[in-house]
Amino acid sequence: MSLLNVSDLHASVVTDDGPQPILKGLTLEVKPGEVHAIMGPNGSGKSTLANVLSGRPGYIVDSGTATLNGQGLLELEPFERAQLGLFLAFQYPVEIPGVSNMEFLKASIDSLARARGEEQPNTATFMKQVRELAGSLDLDPAFLKRGVNEGFSGGEKKRNEIMQLLLLQPKLALLDETDSGLDIDALKVVAEGVNRYRSAENGVVLITHYQRLLDYIVPDFVHVLSNGKIIESGDKSLALELEAKGYAWLT
Amino acid sequence: MADLTLPTTLATPDWLADLPDAGSLPEVLEQALNSPAHRERWKYTKPGPFVAATQHPMIDPDIGGESQNGVALNQSIDAPLAGFDLDQAPEAIARLCYADHVMTLDVSASTDEPIVINHAGNTRPMLIRVAAGVSLTLLESADASDDAQQSIWIDLAPNARVEHSRNALNDAPSHWQYLNVHLQAGAHYQLNNHVAGCGSRRQDIHIIMDGQGAEATLVSAGKVDGKMALDQQVTLEHRQPRGQSKQTIHNIVANGGKCTFNGRIHIHEGAAGTDAQLSNKNLGMGEHATINTKPELEIYTDDVSCSHGATVGTISQDALFYLTSRGIDRTAAEALLSQGFLRQCIDGPLADQALTALVGRAREES
Repeated sequence: MSLLNVSDLHASVVTDDGPQPILKGLTLEVKPGEVHAIMGPNGSGKSTLANVLSGRPGYIVDSGTATLNGQGLLELEPFERAQLGLFLAFQYPVEIPGVSNMEFLKASIDSLARARGEEQPNTATFMKQVRELAGSLDLDPAFLKRGVNEGFSGGEKKRNEIMQLLLLQPKLALLDETDSGLDIDALKVVAEGVNRYRSAENGVVLITHYQRLLDYIVPDFVHVLSNGKIIESGDKSLALELEAKGYAWLT
Repeated sequence: MADLTLPTTLATPDWLADLPDAGSLPEVLEQALNSPAHRERWKYTKPGPFVAATQHPMIDPDIGGESQNGVALNQSIDAPLAGFDLDQAPEAIARLCYADHVMTLDVSASTDEPIVINHAGNTRPMLIRVAAGVSLTLLESADASDDAQQSIWIDLAPNARVEHSRNALNDAPSHWQYLNVHLQAGAHYQLNNHVAGCGSRRQDIHIIMDGQGAEATLVSAGKVDGKMALDQQVTLEHRQPRGQSKQTIHNIVANGGKCTFNGRIHIHEGAAGTDAQLSNKNLGMGEHATINTKPELEIYTDDVSCSHGATVGTISQDALFYLTSRGIDRTAAEALLSQGFLRQCIDGPLADQALTALVGRAREES
């Protein structure tokens, strides 16, 4: 059974000039244990896919379906999608002064536990786990007391996203250009975190501009998105070919 | 608007009689009450009831820590008031005249324990004088449940330091607090102000930087929920060179609440090298919140650094999406965000009480 199943998805972004169609019949299936990379030129709809699946306001689903473990996603509120096991690593993580990282993470893990009918973790154990995770991603544990992403560098924000991924253990991770703005050392840390997350039970959709990330997170499938549709699928060699030739030969 | 009049004739106290601008005090006060500038300060709150209440019977504030070495408490004014301003504060001057006595606190040595002031009702005016080089922590709270007023003057001698925490979290039909702070050279003053709306709450704060290199910090968190009102009027004057002031005021206004903020920075001629900053942010929640905010700058000298800004907004949709994308439901996410907005301005020794009252829970250890 597929983990994520997106079928003939059409979606528009809301603009001042009215809805602009972006996704024009996108179909994608991710099975447990698979990593799918989605590549494509600017404006092809990569981030729109991540946003529509996670329920960001400002998008309209025109037609099509998307399910996670067989449950429909598109009618749900963002928090309900997260409670089903969907996780979006943001391209631009938001700064929230006044809400500490630790408080945010605890609120998140408690909400997810409640939704699954599980016991909420003990605070002391939880804090220890978070500190250890932070350390393993080269994040100073002192940052946990600071506001969410407040004053973080671009690299710290992305590592914080990966820390949340490892902590919340979703069923499906959507990584929206998590590699953008990272230097090579930070890229390795982030990739190592994603690889630690990978398992036979979960899935990863990796949205990226560059082949570079795929040197560190080896995908099972590579898809090329263009004008709102997947126009080519293949294995890792497709990414290398794109790197060599650009997107023009496909579009 | 009808002219404002004082409730009954007041007697000019001895210490005031010699002031050249006092003249016939009742007349001068009534002129000040009705001047256009002063009426502007009362544009969004009805002044009549507050003026009428200036002569209500007063009780002593409860004062703790006054028996420490270097602290003296008296009941008279033996010198003209530092920071005395008839035009700015005619109601506060009227209260001084109506009061049968005042509370004068002289602090001549740094204290180990804070001075604690609690206003259980309509309390007598206080004058607090902090001697040169002395450090003082002042904890002030109001728990009156009836109409109440407070008026406090604080004078900081050169290089004195005062850390003042103030909670006005009580529910009363009306509450007015006048605070005047006068800083001499090199003095430091910090106010952590935490305030909830009440039937009609008014806070007037007048800070006068009257010596070179004085520093003042005002941090305030306010929450006005339901049919409550809060009106804050802050005047900060830089009269001497190289002073620094920073004001950060966050207010949440929810569900029909009404909040007014007016922050005026006045940089006098000759106050070169002044650095003055003011930021007022307002978060509207629920239906029918009313927010009036006006930052004002008057600058009469070159070579100053000055910034002021006011924002009125609702909860950031980006932040809300970020939290909800982690499984936190919308209501809980909104609560976290509004708490975070206020928490940025809740600090100091009275923070825990303020967090409980304004944010709904104590600070989490992490």
